Amino acid sequence: MTAGWILPALVAAPALLAGLSLLARSPRAALRTGAAATLALTLAAGGAVARVFLCGPLQCAGGWFYLDALSAYHLAILMLVFALCSCFAMVYFREEIGAGLFTRKLARRYQALWFGSLAAMNLVLVSNNLGVMWVGVEATTLLSAFLICIHATPQALEAMWKYLLMCSVGVALAFAGILLLAATASTSLSGHDALLWTRLMNPAVTLDPMLVKVAFIFLVVGFGAKAGLAPLHSWLPDAHSQSPSPVSAMFSGILLTTAMYGILRYIPLVERATGNTGWGREVLVALGLLSVLVGAAFVIGQQDIKRLLAYSSVENMGIITLGIGLGGLGVYAALLHTLNNSLCKSVSFCCAGRIGQIYGSLDMRRIKGMLKVSPLWGGGLLAGLMALIGVAPFALFISEFLTVRAAWQRAAYWPMGLLLFGLGLVFIGVLRKAIPMAWEVPESAPKPPPTHRAEALLVWLPLALLLLLGLWIPRPLGAMIAQAAAVLGATP
Amino acid sequence: MNAWTDIMLVVLILTTFWLLGSSRLASCIRICAIQGVATGLLGVVGGGLSIRVAAISLAVIVLKGLAFPWLLSRALRESNTSHEVQPFVGYVASLLVGVVILGLSFWADSCLPALSHVASRLVAPVAFALLIAGLFLIVARKTAVNQVLGYLVMENGIYTFGFGVVREIPALVELGVLMDVFVAVFVMGIAIYRINRTFDHIDSDQLTLLKG
Repeated sequence: MTAGWILPALVAAPALLAGLSLLARSPRAALRTGAAATLALTLAAGGAVARVFLCGPLQCAGGWFYLDALSAYHLAILMLVFALCSCFAMVYFREEIGAGLFTRKLARRYQALWFGSLAAMNLVLVSNNLGVMWVGVEATTLLSAFLICIHATPQALEAMWKYLLMCSVGVALAFAGILLLAATASTSLSGHDALLWTRLMNPAVTLDPMLVKVAFIFLVVGFGAKAGLAPLHSWLPDAHSQSPSPVSAMFSGILLTTAMYGILRYIPLVERATGNTGWGREVLVALGLLSVLVGAAFVIGQQDIKRLLAYSSVENMGIITLGIGLGGLGVYAALLHTLNNSLCKSVSFCCAGRIGQIYGSLDMRRIKGMLKVSPLWGGGLLAGLMALIGVAPFALFISEFLTVRAAWQRAAYWPMGLLLFGLGLVFIGVLRKAIPMAWEVPESAPKPPPTHRAEALLVWLPLALLLLLGLWIPRPLGAMIAQAAAVLGATP
Repeated sequence: MNAWTDIMLVVLILTTFWLLGSSRLASCIRICAIQGVATGLLGVVGGGLSIRVAAISLAVIVLKGLAFPWLLSRALRESNTSHEVQPFVGYVASLLVGVVILGLSFWADSCLPALSHVASRLVAPVAFALLIAGLFLIVARKTAVNQVLGYLVMENGIYTFGFGVVREIPALVELGVLMDVFVAVFVMGIAIYRINRTFDHIDSDQLTLLKG
């Protein structure tokens, strides 16, 4: 197929851009060209995604690169999040550039690592070889580690060390799982094909159920650590709260989702190897519920707005895992929730970062009356928080509602009850913090910053999209999600 | 041929125990280097030497035997730490844990269905023991250098498993994995250097500013 060449290009182009950003003339130029290049890449990726949904999967290089409905859907989300965060970076770093804190050296390093992470994540999504996919996930960890401590404060270094060690160890465990899978597959596949996902999916390949189960445990624990699933989530709040806001927005918007995608790829394999007994899905239900409850419990006690959003990420990744585990309608809900959560988290982190800059603190007890001080960023943060806790017209309400309904259909009443309990806790916990932040009269209000009209677009466009998706899901998007769910073996 | 594989596997286990009982960081790095070389030789002595296997084994020996020790020693020299002063789990206790881990690995191996075309029956249990022992080192030691060494032991375990059980992983994947491990240790080395510059110590135990 001739259109397949775009897949390696999606990895090579950002890698090349990473090199080029080391030559940027000024911090402003680095960020500006970075954003422009990301937008161009988004358009190119959009073309590939559209083609996959209209004409079927793309592949290239003897089947090593492969883009099907599931990965194309994730690729679309990835590029949306990166485009949004790259544009926001120009706003966020403007004051730091003015104050001389974001020097040319830092800007070059930042932009190079940014594109490097993008290349690594694209590699995860477009590779058909499970080993190469693993290389992409680990490369993402390593490249993004230094993004956390662009400003080398003690706290940022601590967060970075925790992130580096926990994710590297977790992902190394996942590799042990991949080897186990390859060991059982190599009885019927020759060496070079033993790790190609499309070959493994061939029904003629026999996989030993016991070995596949052990492999799946390793994979879920390993990739789960990086996806922020409890109990290995403890790096997440630190990394999210200490990194610059565009980085935290990217982390929670797409880094977690990419690791989650790593788990998703193995579900059809496990289902087939275990004879469709649903064993793998039960593991996911348990893990998802644990994450929902842990995330919800920690949301309540937080004082730092970015840590609060980070624990909400743990909760939302739990909802996605739970949905996938429930199967059927749940898979559809989980995929929709992936899109909603990524969009909403990125916007919320961006707004929280700006609010933090305006107030000079991320402590929610010191942020008061943010609607008056900055209608744009304060309003955006409030709307983002409302969407996150599932207030009705926003899209997250729909996907959470569908997850609950999927549990009801499957007669999984215990998971449903626990999920509702977790959602309720988050609802109360966030609302209790959000109301004073929005409306309480501050003792000394900081000076409202001048805002540009383009910045308003950055906040309201994604939020409007979330609102629209909550009211009406366009037919092409519905079809896209249905196709992606079909890859996971779900028929709604 | 098989005898040499077994000898290398025994070296892997012995070095792991040696590491579990050592406190001087410089010698810990050296022990880890020996283990890295033994891991690399595993592919060479296993028989059926092809260009692919030779290239990967050479890369492993150079990286794990020379590059990593050099990098870590440099990070260590910059800091004032020479000993692991008070690990979470003492050395004698660590050795006992090591014995338990080894026993559990053999037991777990007997529970799993036999893997086909294994070079030696010892491969899977030894690899598993290294994996768990590495994890144990990471949680039981406080200094950043020792945690990186734990990561390396774990990695050696995974590599051993890969070479002993799945000999046919495409070279590209294998090299990609090696490359990632190299970058990981490199990044960790820089991180240790930076942590050291900011905190003036490399006890990751004292990195406790972030809680809750």
